[in-house]
Amino acid sequence: MFEAGGVPRAALTLQLGSYAGFVGAHWWNLQDAALRCESEVQEQERKICPDVLYRAGRTLSRQETYTPRLILMDLKGSLNSLKQEGCLYGDTKIDTSVAWQGNLMTHQEDPPAKNLFLQDLSKLEGGMSSDGGFSPRALPLSKDVSQLPTQLHVSQKGHQLEGSVRVWSDYLRVRLHPRSIFMIHQYNDDGESSQLEAFGQGESLLHDPTYLEELEDRLHFYVEECDYLQGFQILCDLNNGFSGVGAKVTELLHDEYSGRGILTWGLTPVIHNVGVSWKDFYRLMNTVLGIVHLSSHSSLFCPLSLNGSLGLKPEAPVTLPYVHYDASLNYHSSAILATALDTLSAPYRLHSSQFSMVQLADAFNSSGRKVVAAGTAVPFPMAYGQSLPDALCSYQLAVPWTPLSSCGEQKDSCCFAQSVVLRGIGKENHISNLPPGSQPKSALHVCETGEEVLGSYLHARCPGTFSTSYLIQGPCKVLPPYPQFFSALLNKQGFLLDKLPSCSTAVESIPVLTALQSSPALYSALYRLYKELHQVDVRRWASFFSAGIELYDFQEALHELRTLSQCYKTSSELDESEDEADTD
Amino acid sequence: MSAVKALNPKAEVARAQAALAVNISAARGLQDVLRTNLGPKGTMKMLVSGAGEIKLTKDGNVLLHEMQIQHPTASLIAKVATAQDDITGDGTTSNVLIIGELLKQADLYISEGLHPRIVTEGFEAAKEKALEVLEKVKVTKEMDRETLVDVARTSLRTKVHAELADILTEAVVDAVLAIRKPDEPIDLYMVEIMEMKHKSETETALIRGLVLDHGARHPDMKKRVEDAYILTCNVSLEYEKTEVSSGFFYKSAEEREKLVKAERKFIEDRVNKIIDLKKRVCGDSNKGFIVINQKGIDPFSLDALAKEGIVALRRAKRRNMERLTLACGGMAMNSVDDINADCLGHAGLVYEYVLGEEKFTFIEKCDNPRSVTLLIRGPNKHTLMQIKDAVRDGLRAVKNAIEDGCVVPGAGALEVAIADALVKHKPNVKGRAQFGVQAFADALLIIPKVLAQNSGYDPQETLVKVLAEYAESGQLIGVDLNTGEPMVPAAAGIWDNYNVKKQLLHSCTVIASNILLVDEIMRAGMSSLKG
Repeated sequence: MFEAGGVPRAALTLQLGSYAGFVGAHWWNLQDAALRCESEVQEQERKICPDVLYRAGRTLSRQETYTPRLILMDLKGSLNSLKQEGCLYGDTKIDTSVAWQGNLMTHQEDPPAKNLFLQDLSKLEGGMSSDGGFSPRALPLSKDVSQLPTQLHVSQKGHQLEGSVRVWSDYLRVRLHPRSIFMIHQYNDDGESSQLEAFGQGESLLHDPTYLEELEDRLHFYVEECDYLQGFQILCDLNNGFSGVGAKVTELLHDEYSGRGILTWGLTPVIHNVGVSWKDFYRLMNTVLGIVHLSSHSSLFCPLSLNGSLGLKPEAPVTLPYVHYDASLNYHSSAILATALDTLSAPYRLHSSQFSMVQLADAFNSSGRKVVAAGTAVPFPMAYGQSLPDALCSYQLAVPWTPLSSCGEQKDSCCFAQSVVLRGIGKENHISNLPPGSQPKSALHVCETGEEVLGSYLHARCPGTFSTSYLIQGPCKVLPPYPQFFSALLNKQGFLLDKLPSCSTAVESIPVLTALQSSPALYSALYRLYKELHQVDVRRWASFFSAGIELYDFQEALHELRTLSQCYKTSSELDESEDEADTD
Repeated sequence: MSAVKALNPKAEVARAQAALAVNISAARGLQDVLRTNLGPKGTMKMLVSGAGEIKLTKDGNVLLHEMQIQHPTASLIAKVATAQDDITGDGTTSNVLIIGELLKQADLYISEGLHPRIVTEGFEAAKEKALEVLEKVKVTKEMDRETLVDVARTSLRTKVHAELADILTEAVVDAVLAIRKPDEPIDLYMVEIMEMKHKSETETALIRGLVLDHGARHPDMKKRVEDAYILTCNVSLEYEKTEVSSGFFYKSAEEREKLVKAERKFIEDRVNKIIDLKKRVCGDSNKGFIVINQKGIDPFSLDALAKEGIVALRRAKRRNMERLTLACGGMAMNSVDDINADCLGHAGLVYEYVLGEEKFTFIEKCDNPRSVTLLIRGPNKHTLMQIKDAVRDGLRAVKNAIEDGCVVPGAGALEVAIADALVKHKPNVKGRAQFGVQAFADALLIIPKVLAQNSGYDPQETLVKVLAEYAESGQLIGVDLNTGEPMVPAAAGIWDNYNVKKQLLHSCTVIASNILLVDEIMRAGMSSLKG
């Protein structure tokens, strides 16, 4: 009776870094697409509740707004045409009155060229921004009005955004609250000077009282108004100095908001290079320090990346069977990660369940296993009209998902704990619809609910694993500006067709399967990172250490990484790796 | 052929004269950008970004942070200049101007064949002498309110228009005086700066108390309370699922429900302790009772408190907790087990102000506030930022003056005095280093020259008049920017900070010398050397 029954258990999202911005922009676009399509969907008992991530507010001119509960940090130069304050709370008229009576000199930068998507967006929203963006770009979005109705399907024809996306703000369609965008002016987004490239630089950024106070103010703004805050989800770049920022931020949250869940996703863009250079060592050191610090301050930490591995010599990026993505485009790779994230996070965003971030973390945390690996099937391969038991039956040998945490394929799918979410399968296909009396093909075909089907499949695949599974009916809506990189075999709803259709249709929604696993594969992945750095003399990169972190602390972190990796050792691996341990 | 060429044929190298030319042009370039800023008659810069965002500033420090400086030498100078601001809070523009001018003057002699090393020796000798002069002309006096107002006004008039500067001046000085403790360094963190996008900038004011940017989260709590007790605490008043209580540790649903209830009871007990205290101290009087909690308060607890007429604010910022007890008295409590009347602070008036979706809680009429708030108002974002930057600098200027215990006449008077003393001192310096001393003296005069120029007067003519007047009267003479004539800044109440000037002399000399001594610039692996 004292539980927060129908009240949404709010979560605050933090995005740290530019790749986090890329993933985040797709993620918010997905949320926005889901919001817009809400009216189309009929009854759903297990529906995702947008209030967990969004907040309702009102502007000075008393217009209702509905904006993400979000703080995003990025470097100077990554906003392009987006205003730092957003456009929702802007002044209604141009106000350039100046508190100065002397001479005034104006330096005006040319407004950046908007790509087709942004042009369409501003056209649709009625913002007369042709004059270069002085006027507010859009009308505020109200929660209950079914936003910007069918017009938006004008943009359905699809823009080829691939060539024109340089920064994440180029394809963000959600409008943000003025407190969301937190720019770091000390470092540049691109160019060759003032880069945020070392962990220590990021850490010391938040030692600066001006940045720290600003962050505390923003956190306070979002947190104070929440009646029931379940926790924080943090998207953080691992490959650059933002891993240091993330370390400080999670430490701050951990100290300040004890008892709340802190879910951290460590992101790495697809790495493609030829030789090993100092940059790879920087990346590796940032990644290692990031993993160690982020996992120790968070409730749960999950590396997310399409890379084959996070080590010095990157392996080929993972392939997804029905998605033809261009690994060199952050716009593409981040879309896949965002889709996975949207489904992974679904359990703690549901209307009905009492499941919270803390509980999700608890399910994995035993024996210090704070790092988990993610896997996804985007889209979940299922033929049109096929039933779930039939679809799962074809995956008796290998699990249907592709690993997204750069820890390689594992030999068997057993792990310590897992949480699997499947969404987008219509209720009529949940169970086998064999005519009564016929012999069921497998144990899956006799289950009476979809949840049972998934549960028994997981039980059969991974016996002895603590599994939780969720079945959510609403599919993942992939409306533009989501890239159309799907195989031509998919129909509009993302189900497989037997043969190539005569005319290709744009995919509008897809079923998605994700898994979060505390898996033994993490042992080798983490241990490999440890070994790669253990072998070299890191003192060669003096500038990395001049930026704030001590050599001693670094060795300490390496040691912690090793300890962390040991948590994932299974008994079979204990013997074979004993000699490795001796070399230490 | 430079050695680096052998290793990396793509490396670009600039040597001796060429290297110097590159560096000097960078320094001059930076100087050109900032020279129009100097002084109360300088030019305000409005920076409009591509997305249409406005930044309004005249502060060299802010400008240097906004510019994306790519040239390595320019970025070195910019870093020194902004470091000056970090240390003393002022003097960024002067710093850039003097470094640029030192290099320009030195270039004259170097192009005639003088070795840069000799010039830097001259600079060093000149700096020693300049510091002596600074010690001689500084005015040590009691830092009464009047002097501090003069110092603050001198600083603020260069950042905002005169009417606003006068309002800010009073506010800034009173703020520092309120938080000053005898024989302790001044902690400017005890002055909270709060922005409100509302009304006009001249309504910026000093609040002798605190303004919190959140309000009570319960509809029944009073919006205005007079004569109130303030309980500052850091105690969780919300039911959180702790790790033990999460889902699958329970044997049955009833057991779970029981545990949840027990935990809930725990929180209720805390709330009841606060209510008891309220009843004890307020009795039947109509005194108010405010709880300001650093941790959360959930709707059930809010409800219970509201029923008893208590106003409760949750999730106060950590840094405001210390300020609260300094402003209102009392103690910040970490537990409610032993709270009593002694822990409570007091405020004469507490009220809430709503602006759009934002709420502000004013805690005013405190008995003896040791922490105060500067409430900045302005019609738009860029004005707020401009005032905020100005207020920060003003606070620093007042703090510097109090801690130095002395001030220096402004309006270019110090530079004129030093230049004059250096010219007289020149014969005492041995050999060709004399040229360095001369260069230093000439370089310092850039300050009065630019001040005059920015006000629309002829720099040479003004300078000659000022030098003549100085020689004649023996008093410290600066430039009157309203007439272009010489004047006595001490009489006009124009005072600069002693430590700003001292830092300026030190850092300019060091950087100019370092840049002069560079005789080879190498750049390998990057695109271009031109800047």
